[in-house]
Amino acid sequence: MQILHTDIAIIGGGGAGLRAAIAAAQTDPNCKISLLSKVYPMRSHTVAAEGGAAAVTLQQDSLQAHFDDTVAGSDWLADQDVVDYFVSHAYEELVQLEHWGCPWSRRDDGSVQVRRFGGMKTERTWFAADKTGFHILHTLFQTSLQFANINRLDEFFVLDLLVVDQQIAGVLAMQLSTGELYQIQAKSVILATGGAGRVFHYNTNGGIVTGDGMALAYRHGVALRDMEFVQYHPTGLPGSGILITEASRGEGGILLNKDGYRYLQNYGLGPETPLGKPENKYMELGPRDKLSQAFWHEQQKGRTGNYGEHAVVYLDLRHLGSSYLNERLPFICELAKSYVNVDPAKAPIPIRPAVHYTMGGILTDGQCQTSIGGLYAIGECASVGLHGANRLGSNSLTELLVFGKVAGVAAVAHAKQRQALPSSALNAQCQQHHQQLQARFGAKQADRVASLRKAMTLAMEQGCGIYRTTEGMQQCLNTLQQLKQRYQQLAVSDNSKIFNYELLQHYELGFGLDVAEAMCASALARQESRGAHQRLDQGMQSRNDTDYLQHSIAQLMPETAGAAGGSAKISYQPVRITKSTPAARLYGGAATKQEPV
Amino acid sequence: MSEQHSPRRPYLAPLTASWWLKHRYYRFYMLREATVLPLLFFCGCLIAGFYSLQQGEQSWLNWLSFMAQPWVMALNALTFAASLFHAKTFFELFPRVMPLLPAPLMIAGQWLGTIAVAALLLLLLGGVL
Amino acid sequence: MEKTVEKTLVIQRYNPEQDQRPSQQRYQVPFDNSTSVLDALLYIQQSLDPSLAFRWSCRMAICGSCSVMVNGIPKLGCKTFLREYSGDLLLEPLAHFATEKDLVSDMTLFLQHLQAVKPYLIRQEQSAATTPATKPQPHKQTPKQLAKYRKFSSCINCGLCYAACPQFGLNPEFLGPAALTLAQRYNLDNRDQGKAERMPQLNGKNGVWGCTFVGFCSDVCPKHLDPAAAVNQGKVASATDFVIGLFKP
Repeated sequence: MQILHTDIAIIGGGGAGLRAAIAAAQTDPNCKISLLSKVYPMRSHTVAAEGGAAAVTLQQDSLQAHFDDTVAGSDWLADQDVVDYFVSHAYEELVQLEHWGCPWSRRDDGSVQVRRFGGMKTERTWFAADKTGFHILHTLFQTSLQFANINRLDEFFVLDLLVVDQQIAGVLAMQLSTGELYQIQAKSVILATGGAGRVFHYNTNGGIVTGDGMALAYRHGVALRDMEFVQYHPTGLPGSGILITEASRGEGGILLNKDGYRYLQNYGLGPETPLGKPENKYMELGPRDKLSQAFWHEQQKGRTGNYGEHAVVYLDLRHLGSSYLNERLPFICELAKSYVNVDPAKAPIPIRPAVHYTMGGILTDGQCQTSIGGLYAIGECASVGLHGANRLGSNSLTELLVFGKVAGVAAVAHAKQRQALPSSALNAQCQQHHQQLQARFGAKQADRVASLRKAMTLAMEQGCGIYRTTEGMQQCLNTLQQLKQRYQQLAVSDNSKIFNYELLQHYELGFGLDVAEAMCASALARQESRGAHQRLDQGMQSRNDTDYLQHSIAQLMPETAGAAGGSAKISYQPVRITKSTPAARLYGGAATKQEPV
Repeated sequence: MSEQHSPRRPYLAPLTASWWLKHRYYRFYMLREATVLPLLFFCGCLIAGFYSLQQGEQSWLNWLSFMAQPWVMALNALTFAASLFHAKTFFELFPRVMPLLPAPLMIAGQWLGTIAVAALLLLLLGGVL
Repeated sequence: MEKTVEKTLVIQRYNPEQDQRPSQQRYQVPFDNSTSVLDALLYIQQSLDPSLAFRWSCRMAICGSCSVMVNGIPKLGCKTFLREYSGDLLLEPLAHFATEKDLVSDMTLFLQHLQAVKPYLIRQEQSAATTPATKPQPHKQTPKQLAKYRKFSSCINCGLCYAACPQFGLNPEFLGPAALTLAQRYNLDNRDQGKAERMPQLNGKNGVWGCTFVGFCSDVCPKHLDPAAAVNQGKVASATDFVIGLFKP
């Protein structure tokens, strides 16, 4: 086993991890930063974000308006002090990215262009065509190359956190190219491992989005918060789930059912806006949870079309014309042609909701600090309190930057006042894990990683989908617990060391099962409907602020009878409300009646 | 880090001398580059012509009869074709290197220029002969 | 959409812990109109042979992980479909890179070359936009100025162009299409002032002059960003830089 010493270890090389690394490197040029990623950083899933990043930009916009949209979008489950901090630091972070070279789309006068986005009252979404995440990630990655104190450890997979007396001491990682274990001793550790969309069957996420960081923290007693809130993106391609950006609706795309009818007007999002004149918070620019739920209702009523075995509705962009589409949505055109053989200028794109984003995550305070000293979490793997029950599109790219910086700076400060921990305790922990690793190898069996994973993702799709029932979730939870037991017996048949992807996937499945169980248990416990969590059970179909205006907290209980590898215990924590008291969440014409303009 | 213990053993397939035969694209590229060979022959002819002109009338007449042989004519015809081919590829690449105007415009401009210069030369030389 | 038709995939296997050299293995894979090479590889890994090693993630041609040679041509596995091929498919790891295992290539050189061209915005003086006294504001950049480099900023670092470039195959020190394109991307950005710092790399023998305009890189680029053009624009810049150098005291 190799031993490395570093001041800060950052796990994950996506947008959040890179932003944190740069912030740390700038704060203290003498600070040793190790950036671990299980893939090369530019493969991280930030790369697939399309639409944009939000910040108050225009004269007529205000921080208060961005705050209000975010809090209402969250169905009042966002921590309002965190939202306040976020909206007031969003603009400077996007400008910072501009100064690092991000090719933001522009107006004719050379200023930055902003576009409409779902649930946002005003145009405030910065974008780089329809490849915003790609450009943000590559800008950050390339910028990070100039800092000599950022030591990249590409294709290093973290197996465990090293914790001594509730203080972080480093991580245990495996170098994929050699299979060697590395004990990486660090004074601060930042988790930036992204979401867990891959625990669902149909999702817009890359294969790497397996909830690793959430499970790593969870297993060391850190709580996962608001895990029941999983965002379905209303427009994924059927089958693959490949993302068709919300920006296509921001630019004027409309949603049609099989009869060519703009069905959203039936679900509290109307009245119908004229073709080619999208209006913020109306119709197709409603929030994602409402749009995905509308699809479900249409499907129940038999008004969806078919694409192969998949029920679909249609995203119609034809009226935008091919030259506009090529300028604003070139990637969408390419994706539609490649994966569903549709030219969006000539025919509507078949789409359906697919799991996109995990609103919940590792519980942190407003400074990204978890309950373990020196352990921080940022980005999709974290629950800093920004998204509540439903995230607004284009808030999360900005989140990576705003809180990436916060965590980077905090990690430097923490590392400075920390002594290195005695390594004897760490060695013991690493040795123990090494033995566990060895025990995973064994002969080929009927159960395989792939078959267990499929059972998990289908169970989650069934039990924790757009609409949920007590019965469905209970069944899902039972399945997950059975799968966890089978997982204990599941052996890795490939015993090679170099690029052993079966071993890697074995770990990922274990992480995914823990995260899935936390999601399902949190969902079962929340007996109301809020944001992305919608129940069909009697008496639970609407929001219940009396009992559930609270964050859910999932904690892993040590092994108990009947639950191999522990099970989730759910409790609640108050939401921090500073200035916006919960009100009805209204979109479309209903909202306008509420607030006379 | 003790790299010497690394179990990695990356395998690098050697690139053989015949690498360019393996792919249509590479063969096309080699053909483009090979247009220089007949051109060398033509340059030799041209230099020999100037030399023989300097050496006197008999020498010049010998050179003319050499040039009139069918195989020399054939080779020079090949040179001409090869040069046109090379010009075509070059003219198509040029707008990508210096994107000043829309590519079709630049390609057409280059051909027009070539024809104009060739016509001018023919006119001048024709006047001499 | 029944997947009843099968296709044969011949895959180059190499396990450095056992094999002296790569060998080939055949697999039968069911497919339909939408089955990509990546889907086929995932099918093999999940149903037939979990030891098959290959990189992948996004499956939408943006992360640049799943590069392989398909019948000798560099391709993104997720954007190449089985329906496009009439016979068997031969899958090999990227040409000109060393193979770590099966279809996994060693990308170390590629990363080094990227880093060598200083691919980040370099500013010599503090512009009004970056002075700390006022609230930072974005630089101005018109759509026309953006268009000058935008295409070259779309590289997904998949490495296909290196597998297509015989000059990189012959000389691994050659910076290669993607890195030189990235240099050109920043050199063309009106906000950048770092050209002088990048030119020594571009002028060197492993820089732009290592390119002989084979042009195959542009043909295989899955994002159509024409790296050959970028590299040869770099030659113009390098030549200009040289001539200017002659007249400098």
